[in-house]
Amino acid sequence: MKEDKRSIWVFGDYRNYFQNRVTLQLLSRATDLAKEIDAEVCAVVFGHEVDEWVGEYIAHGAMRVYVTDHPSLKNYSSDIYVELMTRLVKEYKPEIVLVGATSFGREFAPRVSKILGTGLTADCIGLDINEKELLVQTAPAFGGNLLARIVTPEKRPQIATVRPGVFQEIPHNYEAAGKTVYVALPENLPNDRVRLISSLRQPAREQRIEDAEVVVCGGRGMGSRKKFRNLYELAKILGGEVGATRPVVYSDWAEDEALVGQADKHIKPKVLFSFGISGAIQHTAGITDADFIIAVNKNPHATMMKMADVAIVADAGQVCTALIRELKRRIRT
Amino acid sequence: MCSARLIMPELNRQYHEGVKIEVDFNPCMKHKLVRKTVREFAEAELGPIAHEIDAEARFPLEVIEKMRPLNFFGLQVPRRFGGADIDSISYAITIEEISRVSGAVGLCVTVHNSVGVFPILKFATEEQKQRFIPKLASGEHIGAFCLTEANAGSDASGVETHAVLDGNGYIINGTKIFVTNGGICSIPLIFAIADPGKPSASASVFIVEKHMPGFSVGEIEDLCGMRANPVSSLFLEDCRVPEENLLGKVGDGMKIGFAALDTGRIGIGAQAVGIAQAAFEASVKYSRERQQFSKPISSFQSVQNILADMATQIDASRLLVYRVCALKDSGKPFSKEASMAKLFCSSAASMITGQAVQIHGGYGYSKEYDVERYFRDAKVTEIYEGTSEIQRMVISRNVLAEPM
Amino acid sequence: MLKMIVCMKQVPMVTELPWDAKTGTLKRELSEGMMNPACKHALEAALRLKHEHKGHITAITMGPPMAEEILREAIAMGVDRCLMLSDKKMAGADTLVTSYTLARAIEIFCADFDLILCGCHTSDSETAQVGPQLAEELDIPGIAYVEDVQINSRIITIKRLSDNFLETLEMDMPGLITLTTRNYAPRYTPIAGLQDAFDEPNILVVSADDLGLDEAFIGISGSPTMILDVYSPTAQKKNIVMQGTPKKIVEELLERFDDRIGSVIRKDLKVEK
Repeated sequence: MKEDKRSIWVFGDYRNYFQNRVTLQLLSRATDLAKEIDAEVCAVVFGHEVDEWVGEYIAHGAMRVYVTDHPSLKNYSSDIYVELMTRLVKEYKPEIVLVGATSFGREFAPRVSKILGTGLTADCIGLDINEKELLVQTAPAFGGNLLARIVTPEKRPQIATVRPGVFQEIPHNYEAAGKTVYVALPENLPNDRVRLISSLRQPAREQRIEDAEVVVCGGRGMGSRKKFRNLYELAKILGGEVGATRPVVYSDWAEDEALVGQADKHIKPKVLFSFGISGAIQHTAGITDADFIIAVNKNPHATMMKMADVAIVADAGQVCTALIRELKRRIRT
Repeated sequence: MCSARLIMPELNRQYHEGVKIEVDFNPCMKHKLVRKTVREFAEAELGPIAHEIDAEARFPLEVIEKMRPLNFFGLQVPRRFGGADIDSISYAITIEEISRVSGAVGLCVTVHNSVGVFPILKFATEEQKQRFIPKLASGEHIGAFCLTEANAGSDASGVETHAVLDGNGYIINGTKIFVTNGGICSIPLIFAIADPGKPSASASVFIVEKHMPGFSVGEIEDLCGMRANPVSSLFLEDCRVPEENLLGKVGDGMKIGFAALDTGRIGIGAQAVGIAQAAFEASVKYSRERQQFSKPISSFQSVQNILADMATQIDASRLLVYRVCALKDSGKPFSKEASMAKLFCSSAASMITGQAVQIHGGYGYSKEYDVERYFRDAKVTEIYEGTSEIQRMVISRNVLAEPM
Repeated sequence: MLKMIVCMKQVPMVTELPWDAKTGTLKRELSEGMMNPACKHALEAALRLKHEHKGHITAITMGPPMAEEILREAIAMGVDRCLMLSDKKMAGADTLVTSYTLARAIEIFCADFDLILCGCHTSDSETAQVGPQLAEELDIPGIAYVEDVQINSRIITIKRLSDNFLETLEMDMPGLITLTTRNYAPRYTPIAGLQDAFDEPNILVVSADDLGLDEAFIGISGSPTMILDVYSPTAQKKNIVMQGTPKKIVEELLERFDDRIGSVIRKDLKVEK
């Protein structure tokens, strides 16, 4: 073992930096956890011309950054990245490895854990250290309706993928000192068995429902297609997006893109209006990250009403119309 | 050495942990899967439109198209004619689950399969089967059974539609009313008499084809329930039907009619169970949610009693239907049991849907909620395929004929 | 002949969780099982490939005896052969051990596969880990979160949206993909298929011994992770309930929350008194 001090590693996932700052959030959480087990926070970066990220990670809490910089690593490749990561872990034996639960992270981490024969917990929304100095990982199940607390008692490292947006990043400090350890690309690397034919960054839509600060969701309780279309006017006034439940889309009241739910889009608006939605788990699993929920339903005991901050017991269609009128009046004045 | 073994499906388990089971009331895996499969389809495809097709009295052809490749129109038709050839309990479950979402579409499917297709399967010549069954089983053609007339319903001998032999065919004249699937059927079975002097003895069934000159469809009836089914009159004006389209022989009409109705009654029983089940589920849900006097109404004994009765009636109904299905599949007579199932299920459904409206109070009486539709749909199950009074007649006739 | 394997899991069919507040556990016995939705999409993709390439599909599940039902459903939908890994010794397996067990079964019973298809994640535990770990265990290339798959002269070409990148990737056979629920809406099961599915003894039941697996390496004892507890976070929020006419409600809402809503939509909602 080269290092005497225990370490907590964070995988540097920078590909989608501007949309997704999960690596910085993990460095922040790792810093807190490190204090409890007296460990060093490290980041791992693979890629080409990645100095920018190395600096960024040190500024956000990494005390040490392992870097493999090579032109052949320009594009993310799970085969090669998995190989590099497992070699590094075998060599430096970190206590904990945290990976952002991005699409890449959730493909990459399982394979690393498999090769290392250790435990992995998926999409965690909580990380703590218990009295046995084990990493207690809180992971959602059944669309977030259940939470499980999971540990890896014996095998090391303890690996978790962590949902973006759960932890707050610490403000950057470009004065922070951190070591950079350059690891050369091994010569005997196997070939990447998956060939990249093309990779196009999706043009950022003007506003995606996943990023919208205001979302107006509607369900069958809106009563009819015609009334449902009023939600679009409301969303326009509020500068938000319209979301819908499956039955609504099946009835052709809204387009597929509007689907919000467990198997569909997950939203995290600051304000969510929920009109005529009873709150089946398939839908509510997609709105667990909404900050403030205003629900309108004739049934005061609908699951959705229990999840809401403001529960309005009334006809969804009528409240929608009244709200449009009142907002217009207020915004004009 | 590998001991991995192939397993037979868990069907009709005769033994359970060494004990012989005479009657197994647990649904087998197959029947559970049939229920899940049909429910998934019905909820996804019919659920969103069930309310609207009732309100607009519109037959959902687009859903019928989706049902065709799934064998919904050849449920018990043998494989060689393109059917699914399923057992009768699976058949009943299928009808129950469609009817749970839309009574009117359930009606279309059960009438087609039972009284529309079954008589041809049972009484037709091989040549006739080859001609008609494949297209019926695929749902390309929709079947119907036409007995009822202005002056004939419960009393089949009052039928006035008559067929006159003319060379190698028959000239048929008459008007059939309240024909389920009337507006969409392409191969209706027409019940007619050949000799007005001997109506019962000369009753015959003809396979009429929609394109035959002299055949026409009347306006869609404006009914209380089952509004999405195109129930209509059918007119036969000097309609020439070739001899090859006579089902069985002249005079077989009553025999065919009774056989068709016995089978049809199983479907109507299953349909009534489905409608009652929907009303029951809605009532349980609503009574848990609706608060009065600061409590959910499900906490009141008066409501609890209704729910208990509903659950019991539905359970009993379902068992009666499955019992007659098992009898039918074992080749035993089932006429009395079919009438019992139909009588009990339809009257239970009528009562349960009425109670569901009551539990829903004012909302239950509103078209906004589905229970009033269940209420309207359920009523007719006491009327068609033999009224409750006719069922009692069949049952009592059987009971009195049994040796002491 | 394209030889495919579809891995599938039976998950509880739930719209509202039968949660026992007293004991803090999920009343699993109250909920019926169903084929995990993403697995059903994977099966649909396999069925379309089968149609296109004259393929053969083996469905595999690991679970309690009642999981037989999803295999029967798979047969009804068009699968050719089924393998059910069912053994009390396998119970409680985490993803690492599940992928290990599946891999051993695949090596013994269908080693000459061309393509393995899995759902990208299950609706109950949602780990999305078994697919990638299975690929690693079998030492074959794997691609997760696939939305479209094509096969041409033994090359698997896939499209996916991965972290905002629209990617086209390819790999040689044999390979493994995990499918999202975005495409490949599953077909409905034909009734005739259901009848057939129960007509033949077409499910091979496999035990730990059949696979030559030591109890210490499978099931709960072989799993590196351990569940401490499971709880339900969805407690009733302390919320504000509003009732009355729509007009009155809306006025009250905007009166009380003008700042909260106004700051998000960046509009002043206050009314001059």
